[in-house]
Amino acid sequence: MPADSVLPPAESVATPEVLPPPEKHVGVGGAILGAVPWIDKTGAVGGVFRAIRSLFGGMKITGGYLMRPSTVVTQQYPENRETLKLPDRFRAQLAFNHDENGYHKCTLCRICEEACPNVSIIITGREKPAVSKKELDSFVWRLDSCTFCNTCVIVCPFNVLRFDGTFESSVYDRRLLSYTLNQYAGPVASVLEKMEDPEARKAAMEARDPYSGAAIIAALIEKQKATKIAERAAREAAKASRVAAKAAAAAAAAAAQPEPPPEAEDVG
Amino acid sequence: MSVHVSTLQARITGESTASSPLSTEEYFVNMGPQHPSTHGVLRLVLRLDGETVREVVPVLGYIHRGIEKMGEHGNYRQFVHLVDRMDYLSALANNWAVTMVVEKAAKMETNDRIQAIRTLVCELQRIQSHQLWWGVFGMDLGGFTPFFYGLRDREQICDIFEKTIGARLTMNYIQPGGVMFDIHPDFVKDVKAFLTYFKSKMPEYDALMTENVIIQERLRGIGKLSAERAIALGATGPVLRASGVAHDLRKSEPYGLYSQVDFDVPVGTVGDCWDRYWVRMEEMRQSVRIVEQLIDNIPEGKTFLVKPAAKIKVPAGVHYSHVETARGVLGVLLVSNGKDAPYRIHCRTPNFNNLWCIGEMATGGRIGDLVAMLSSIDIVVPDIDR
Ligand code: SF4
Ligand code: SF4
Repeated sequence: MPADSVLPPAESVATPEVLPPPEKHVGVGGAILGAVPWIDKTGAVGGVFRAIRSLFGGMKITGGYLMRPSTVVTQQYPENRETLKLPDRFRAQLAFNHDENGYHKCTLCRICEEACPNVSIIITGREKPAVSKKELDSFVWRLDSCTFCNTCVIVCPFNVLRFDGTFESSVYDRRLLSYTLNQYAGPVASVLEKMEDPEARKAAMEARDPYSGAAIIAALIEKQKATKIAERAAREAAKASRVAAKAAAAAAAAAAQPEPPPEAEDVG
Repeated sequence: MSVHVSTLQARITGESTASSPLSTEEYFVNMGPQHPSTHGVLRLVLRLDGETVREVVPVLGYIHRGIEKMGEHGNYRQFVHLVDRMDYLSALANNWAVTMVVEKAAKMETNDRIQAIRTLVCELQRIQSHQLWWGVFGMDLGGFTPFFYGLRDREQICDIFEKTIGARLTMNYIQPGGVMFDIHPDFVKDVKAFLTYFKSKMPEYDALMTENVIIQERLRGIGKLSAERAIALGATGPVLRASGVAHDLRKSEPYGLYSQVDFDVPVGTVGDCWDRYWVRMEEMRQSVRIVEQLIDNIPEGKTFLVKPAAKIKVPAGVHYSHVETARGVLGVLLVSNGKDAPYRIHCRTPNFNNLWCIGEMATGGRIGDLVAMLSSIDIVVPDIDR
């Protein structure tokens, strides 16, 4: 296949100021060997010496670093834990923005839950909200399936979520990677602020820690299982009732006719 | 044109092609899938005649994750973060490829600031990718030192990305309608500091490897790939350019702000390992040039022009866009049925085509050179399998 038929015409490659590779290289360091006048610089022996010379050129770089310990970039983790600070935007752990009173603004709109590509966010509302119409019970984030795409953070209309740089999240049990992010179950900040009585406010806020709440993952899985079992039971009940209805219809038909058709016997 | 298809089984049980005057026998060797120099889970079945390679059959599928299929189950914005995981060293360019096809099809607007930021971060990532390649290439050839230097300098770019993007590898930064965050206030300062730093380090790279006669002799003349065969095999990127074809999408179909910056396209002459090495080294310098021209001229403007939660609807039909990643042309073909999720999405990834050049390069060569050839292609295995 000729090359021209596939490639764009030469004109369309604007200024192909093509740089061909250098034919001959010019070595740098290794002054010692270069200074020896009796070595034939072009022959086979010269080739060996040229090679050694260029090796010295490279070794000069390595040696240079040996002489300058200030250029060392290795970080002594975990010894430098105190001073190690990751940038603000670093995506290590999803977190809830709580204001100075410890209130959050999550309204349960579930936009983040829908936007998440891999169902790493599971939100449950309180079944019987105490104060407002909708109240957050638990906002569960699954680190184990999260891909740190940051979509949930940018889609949240109330700026509830953020990523922070707490990167030491390894645990021995996978189940510990499902976190409840909200610190309390209860209404949003604006509702709480309207409440005059601090006692009532306190009563409306049920404390949550990373591993508590209605929807920690084991409970969720149990719930899913229960739903599935209930669904299956419902399906089977429906099927049984259909069969029963058919049988009843056949029986009725059989009773109405003195000579039952052969199919009706099969049903029975 | 005829296409010859045969199974691996047929090849292994097929007739021997040993052609040595000595009575030799062919044998097969599996290289990978757990071989350190295949850079991941790639398996090469080698048909060897003594030390001579008669045939190389790449066997894929060890890291297939069904990214294209997964894309059908989410909306367009959700697909973007999956392509990070194809060629993870060009995650931003991959994001851009998807973003570009969605933006073009859905007629979404962007502005110059967005395009400038995209161009800048992609070029930084190209440098970063080539730095890593340079280090790994040195390591594959038996020198461990370049690996340290390559990674040390790459770390600087990763730090810049950490500050602005918040991630080092899987960025998900370039989104349909903009970029996820505005650049960090320190971005310009940091990039300038990096450029100064890196320009002082390039001579070290040269002294360590480029000017090393042993490296040159090792690389020259092995793994040759002619321009015709490179085109026929669909090679792109530095592999194609090293064979002497000046094809670079940044020049031939400029996207982003590439039409406004001045840079050269380095090409090789014979298409051997040395040319591929040299092309990448030169590309780093050219990328530095691009970044230098853009870093002081980032226009003002918004960085996200749509609501992030808004649904993107792409008109029904077939849409295609492609970008030049650090390894070649990444094309994204999108079939839409007018809904907010793709009906089918296909990625034409550069590494897949580049990998098949290994057969062309290695056949008739020595097994000792195979690692150098493979490394000179600069493959990223998750991009081959997706
Ligand atoms: S976190 Fe934000 S997006 Fe998610 S449910 Fe709460 S308010 Fe809605
Ligand atoms: S970062 Fe992405 S994957 Fe993780 S919870 Fe948020 S939307 Fe889901």
